[in-house]
Amino acid sequence: MILLINTDLLVIGGGPAGMTAALKAAKKGAEVIIVERYHELGGQLIKQTHRFFGSKNEQAGTRGIDIAQGLTKEIQNMSEIKVLTEATAQGYYEDKIVTVSYQNKFRKIRAKRIIIATGASEKMMLFLNNDLPGVYGAGAIQTLMNLYGILPGKKVIMVGSGNIGLIVSYQLLQAGVEVKAVIEADSEIGGYLVHASKIRRIGVPIYTGYSVKSAIGESFVKGAEIIKLDRNWQMIAGTERFIKADTICLAVGLRPLVSLLIQADCAMAYVPELGGDVPIRDENLKTTNDQIFVAGDAAGIEEATAAMLEGEIAGLKAATEIGYLSKDAITESRRLKKELRKLRNGPISRNIRKGLSKVRGDDNVKKNRYSHLR
Amino acid sequence: MVILMNEDKIVCRCEDITLKELRDMIADGYTRLDEIKRALRLGMGPCQGDICLEIAAREICRMTDKKMEDIKMPSKRPPVAGIKMSELVGDNQNEK
Amino acid sequence: MLRKTGIPTSDDLQSVTPDKERLLEGPVAIIECFNEIPCDPCFYSCPFKAIKKFSDINDKPELDYSKCTGCGNCIASCPGLAIFVVDYTKNRLSLPYEFLPLPSVGDKVWGLNRAGKSICQVEVIKVRDPDKNDKTAVISIKLPKKYLMEVRHIKVGDPNE
Repeated sequence: MILLINTDLLVIGGGPAGMTAALKAAKKGAEVIIVERYHELGGQLIKQTHRFFGSKNEQAGTRGIDIAQGLTKEIQNMSEIKVLTEATAQGYYEDKIVTVSYQNKFRKIRAKRIIIATGASEKMMLFLNNDLPGVYGAGAIQTLMNLYGILPGKKVIMVGSGNIGLIVSYQLLQAGVEVKAVIEADSEIGGYLVHASKIRRIGVPIYTGYSVKSAIGESFVKGAEIIKLDRNWQMIAGTERFIKADTICLAVGLRPLVSLLIQADCAMAYVPELGGDVPIRDENLKTTNDQIFVAGDAAGIEEATAAMLEGEIAGLKAATEIGYLSKDAITESRRLKKELRKLRNGPISRNIRKGLSKVRGDDNVKKNRYSHLR
Repeated sequence: MVILMNEDKIVCRCEDITLKELRDMIADGYTRLDEIKRALRLGMGPCQGDICLEIAAREICRMTDKKMEDIKMPSKRPPVAGIKMSELVGDNQNEK
Repeated sequence: MLRKTGIPTSDDLQSVTPDKERLLEGPVAIIECFNEIPCDPCFYSCPFKAIKKFSDINDKPELDYSKCTGCGNCIASCPGLAIFVVDYTKNRLSLPYEFLPLPSVGDKVWGLNRAGKSICQVEVIKVRDPDKNDKTAVISIKLPKKYLMEVRHIKVGDPNE
């Protein structure tokens, strides 16, 4: 039995971007379906026990988990929004239909507009024995620890000093796990310095200009051999040192999850600053497929605050296009875009700005690694 | 438990493909990702290449002096994630 | 260097420390926030408007030492846990603390410097953990004057453990 569901707006992904997108569109009157793979809404927010940065007006100072709970409650109170959890969007087809696995049935959803907010996947790293049990992605460690209450190990080596690496190190310390070191290939710390100082003063050394040469152990991780890198990120022989640990946590970056966008024939561009292939879109997050918007990490790897603002912008525009017009939509959209610009205005967002300059306009089509499929 | 004694790094965890296998393939003249995918099953596991294809693309760039944006990516077909046969065809025992 | 190690240098610290005269007057906040990140909750937390309004949310906070009373309201508001209050008149330091179990008043704990090294024993004199702090406790400790600008974290129990 195949069921066809019709709706105004389909939001794929119930993380920060998807939740704000659904709420914004529903508040304008649109009928919304959210498809979420996990059994509850929130995406990565539900693993974030730290306070968020950003503007006080946009939930700064609030912990990620509390932001998720607030948005979830708001969504539950909106009769316009239907949430399908443990549901996976499986494909986009030429007749503008999305297929979804839900409750052991393959369903079709036909929506007037679709917002794709599928988030990101973690990048892997090549080193000897990188498949030994005890080598984890940072997201997996957060899931184990913060959702299921399970410690990944007792002594952890963190690879990557971006905000995720630093924050997960701090969460591990809070859980009573010893963080032996943070290893960073670059010559400088990647994340916010306040996060770095926070774990440094608890006694975690940060080795910049180092990489992991190999995981040591036979049937599970017993440590790692780290090695100094030169300016061109080449290993310098003879600089190896061994660190004892039972867990190696990889926080070496994220990559947008864009499969559905590619199936929907959205023009893509390879933009390393945003984490990989991302869709070309306009300032309302509309892709080159008139039915489809993108928001959050699927549009480019960034912080959750930016994802929530993107969701709102896309949700507002989608509702307008479907026909739910409101007097204040233009000023509201302008305000949201201004907030987003302000957020991205600092030196820390230099790379994001550079990346975003590559996702608008036709001259980027040559960077489309999927153009041969169109 | 297999004891890993060789000098290999895993590129594709889903299909257990090593960096050496990938490099040998590229050295043999397989420089397109879709060819490598068919020959090695790289990217054909549960994650559908979300993790390994990027690493493989970088390796092709390194060995053939290409830029990342010039690497053609294999197509992304539905279904995006694993799916049960019963979801597609139904599990009604009476319909034989 | 801060960007390589996570430890602020004395130059970094100088830029956020008031002059000696002000330090000797009484409690004052030290905002150890050294890179421009989009964040502004500290401005809203200050009842005395001692933290200047951000013209760009990415600006580093600027504290007017003459308006700061050292009340410590800002300590738990900072998502980066980068604000401390030092009081040279009472040899007291207040810091944010997000670990369990919380120490109790009267406990002797270890004072850790910015590199995580325990450098002295300190006495807990106040533990503030109201609901509005949302699980970021503010711990006040008494310690030798020379360590007021050195200690930035505490460790309960054996420092070598």
